[in-house]
Amino acid sequence: MKEFKIAQPKSLDQVTSLLSQKNTDYALMAGGTDLLDEIKNKIIAPEVVIDLKSVPDLSTIKMDKTHVSIDAMTCVADLAENPIIRENFPVLVEAALSLASPQLRNVGTVGGNLCQRPRCWYYRDPDTICRKKGGSRCFALRGRNRYHAIFGGGMCYIVHPSDLAPALISLDAEITINGLEGKKNILRLEDFFTLPQNNVRKENVLEARQVLSEIRIPLPKNGSKSTYYKFKERGTWDFAVVSAAISGVISGGVFRDIKIVCGGLAPIPWRLKKAEDFIKGKNLTEEVIKQGAKEALTDARPLEENTYKMGLVEAVLYTAISSMI
Amino acid sequence: MEKKDSRYAMEDSNLWYETYASDQTQHSSEALSSDSDKKFKLIGKHIKRIDGKKIVTGKAPFTQDIKLKGMLIGKILRSPHAKAEVLSIKLDVAKSLSGVKAAILMIRGNIQYAGQMVAAVAAVDEKTADKALELIKVEYKPMPFVVIEEKAREEGSPQVHDKRPNVEQRRGYSRGDVEAGFGKADVVIERTYKTAVEIHQTAETHVSIAKWQGERLTIWDSTQAIHSVRDQLAEVLQIPASRIKVIKQYMGGGFGSKLGLNEQTVAASMLAKETNRPVKVMLTRKANSLCVGNRPSTFQTYKGGVKKDGTITALSLLSHTSGGIRGGDRSSEPMIDVHKCENAKVEDYNIYMNTGPSKPTRAPGLVQGTFGLEGFIEELANEIGMDPLEFRKKNYTTKNRGGTGIPYSSKGLDKAYEIGAKQIGWHKRNKVPGEGKGRIRRGIGMAAGIWWGAGSPGTLADVKLHPDGSVEAVCGTQDIGCGTRTHMAIVTAETLGLEPKDITVKLGNSDYPWAPLSGGSLTTPSVAPALRDAALKAAEHLKGMAASKLKVSASSIVCENFTFQEKGNPKNATPFKEVLGDLSHEIVFHGERKGLPEGYAYNTFGAHFAEVEVDTMTGMIKVIKVVAVHDSGRIINKLTAESQVIGGITQGLSTALFEQRIMDNETGRMVNPNLRDYKIATSMDIPEIVPLFVDSVDPRINILGTKGLGEPPRIPASAVIANSVYNAIGIHIREIPMTPDKVLQALKEKEVAR
Repeated sequence: MKEFKIAQPKSLDQVTSLLSQKNTDYALMAGGTDLLDEIKNKIIAPEVVIDLKSVPDLSTIKMDKTHVSIDAMTCVADLAENPIIRENFPVLVEAALSLASPQLRNVGTVGGNLCQRPRCWYYRDPDTICRKKGGSRCFALRGRNRYHAIFGGGMCYIVHPSDLAPALISLDAEITINGLEGKKNILRLEDFFTLPQNNVRKENVLEARQVLSEIRIPLPKNGSKSTYYKFKERGTWDFAVVSAAISGVISGGVFRDIKIVCGGLAPIPWRLKKAEDFIKGKNLTEEVIKQGAKEALTDARPLEENTYKMGLVEAVLYTAISSMI
Repeated sequence: MEKKDSRYAMEDSNLWYETYASDQTQHSSEALSSDSDKKFKLIGKHIKRIDGKKIVTGKAPFTQDIKLKGMLIGKILRSPHAKAEVLSIKLDVAKSLSGVKAAILMIRGNIQYAGQMVAAVAAVDEKTADKALELIKVEYKPMPFVVIEEKAREEGSPQVHDKRPNVEQRRGYSRGDVEAGFGKADVVIERTYKTAVEIHQTAETHVSIAKWQGERLTIWDSTQAIHSVRDQLAEVLQIPASRIKVIKQYMGGGFGSKLGLNEQTVAASMLAKETNRPVKVMLTRKANSLCVGNRPSTFQTYKGGVKKDGTITALSLLSHTSGGIRGGDRSSEPMIDVHKCENAKVEDYNIYMNTGPSKPTRAPGLVQGTFGLEGFIEELANEIGMDPLEFRKKNYTTKNRGGTGIPYSSKGLDKAYEIGAKQIGWHKRNKVPGEGKGRIRRGIGMAAGIWWGAGSPGTLADVKLHPDGSVEAVCGTQDIGCGTRTHMAIVTAETLGLEPKDITVKLGNSDYPWAPLSGGSLTTPSVAPALRDAALKAAEHLKGMAASKLKVSASSIVCENFTFQEKGNPKNATPFKEVLGDLSHEIVFHGERKGLPEGYAYNTFGAHFAEVEVDTMTGMIKVIKVVAVHDSGRIINKLTAESQVIGGITQGLSTALFEQRIMDNETGRMVNPNLRDYKIATSMDIPEIVPLFVDSVDPRINILGTKGLGEPPRIPASAVIANSVYNAIGIHIREIPMTPDKVLQALKEKEVAR
């Protein structure tokens, strides 16, 4: 492990001024549950680690007339227990409680969860220099790929590990990014994530010298329902093999509006638009739901060892949607 | 015994372990008198661990916790290549780093697997040692390698060992005439079962501390075998065993990976010699996944013939197994022994590949073989439309070698069948596998298991009495977490009429009287009888002393309730302490675990029953309940015995559903050398477990009639889940781990076949 300095800023302004120091290789640390692992395992070697936990008042959840805002440093356990969140966004509570373990949820943060790096075992092997680490190829493509992407691959076949991201995208969340000199940039969370073909080294558009500070979710419309179903291989402490966050408006037994965002399928949280289009407005029978999944799966490009994820997409959609009606 | 231990250091197969576990060569001609009629106050009851509080409150010193004055931290550099020639190694830069006290070479010859030790350093702290590793420059010339079993078997694949083919025949087995047997059968089927390589994953990674004082070496080691570590280290370092002392007090799991000398002990000893300071070497989780052993993979093809009435006419097994650069496991034992069958044949092959060397893993070979055989038994029963429990009963035998050998000294498997079937509600199972309807299917299955576990004749133990009334129980065994300390206290206290807390237990030091390694389910049936022998001698002596006080003959005195008292007249008693007060100095009684009477086979047995749910949409298997019934002779401590069974089932479930080493064909490296990607069962995956024991006492195995229990609960634990899944969905998943992808694939194939 390379030694690093730790910076403990006391305000977001101090964070951005630290970021403005040129020629310094830094890493932002939120909960640190994975960042420290990455450093210890020699995947990254920053010179300075900026500890965001030292900034006060970055973990509040508030509600106004139109939105709920969540500070990026809110820990996952607090998110899951917050009455505003529990009242309005079941999908987010379910996603929060499905991730990692109670110990990790006590430390891991919402912002950190959205910005976490992939768990691809080639990326995580210090002796393998894959494309994501500046190498020339993706080892998963013809290697061991049972947990890898069936959508959106090509350059790189990681799957995005976040459980909160699909849930938040399904809720039309937007995020605030703070940059240098007090600049603030607001964008849809869905636009935050980016495919390997755009930049294989990154999973999102957060630039150097920027920090994610806040997540805002519009309050639900009447008749809104949402749920998160995560299929993982064991009872706890496991990433999604396939997960689905579903939010929408149901009336008369049909979705008037629906958003389906999956985890475990692609390098970014993956929207199943074809499934949404197919299911919207139809009576929610097993056939309709599964056909919706099949429509979406026409775009899937599974690898040698992960074809089984296709069947799981159907199972996950069916399970999630049938729990909502 | 020592001879066999050191054989392990040189030979490259796990067979030594089986020989050790099944050793019955030291027979005694006279039958042992057993305590089978005794009514015990402590033995067989639920007794809390005497060290339990210390362990759960973090006060028990594990090897990883030990810090010696002036101690350096040693670290090991490992090869990233699966096969390579080492062209040069430059240690100078590392050595010159401030705080680095030594850097030494640890390799001779070529790299054989990724993770192999190349060099070692010792420095004042972990950080400096880490830096030093990065400063060692190694020039490798990568060579062609093979890390996937199927590829290693292909013609023209890179050869792993210079003088051995990648596929090498091992010792086989044959009795009767299998072809004739198949000829007599109404049905003959053939099925292939596969098991993945499993990693030991001990909670405490391997760790050793070495300290030299002149010519003498003391080792603190997280080991299952203090005496073997001493003897093998003496051989490696070329010094007399008498100058080495090995200490192990508390340990976080071994499961076979800590049987005997490990490389980090050698590295610590060499670094300590070089620096003249104590050195600790602790392995990382990753190193633990790569180089301290693993359970070999197997590919088992069974062919079996059966008559319509359920008679098995012949069984044959073609087995391939891979333990990486070492030999694999023999998975044929269950087939050879468990069920009645006159004709049997085994053909067995090693597959060598460039992966870390295997080591015995809790019930080596038997876990894999039982998954194969017991699965095959279910499929045979199904072929003739017979209930698998009835089928097993029909083929029950009280002699080994499938009824063709010598009688078992005791075999309570029939009782285990009876108790287990009742507990699980056997009648609730699907009469036709997979006959249930709906998304979630339930099923009930069973599996039988056999193991050795007779203990090692020649095990020694002492009971020491002090004039102040205190008592020591001393044995050079080691408590690997199963509760050996407590059982030593129980046996001694029981014999002397005391409570376990009154006994000062001393173990885990190779200067103490010899006991075998703690593996092979040897510990309790070795140590408990030896200690009982010593304690009986002590009691005898003390009764003689009490006789004059009580004015009765020694033979009519019993030790009970902290007193020596006249049998049938408890009022005529004298306190235990007072009698010891008459001793002029401490006095030691030596006990020994005597030989095994000839003409019998000594084995442990068990039957597991399980109920599972299968989600046919996701392929997820959920185990609802496991009932385990074991015949391990007399149980010394019911509480720790139950823990042992629960642990075995937990591991067996984990193997059945989750665990697999995954190798990358291109890089030659294991892709999941961590606990995130190498999945083990979590607490959320563990079902209701009902551990039960057949209430039996072996009449001649030793003076307590006790057999081992370390391995037995692990043996049927994976097979029973596969068999229950078969009952639930009507498809036998013939490969573990039974991950959802395999279940979904099998369901799909069934759908297509329909």
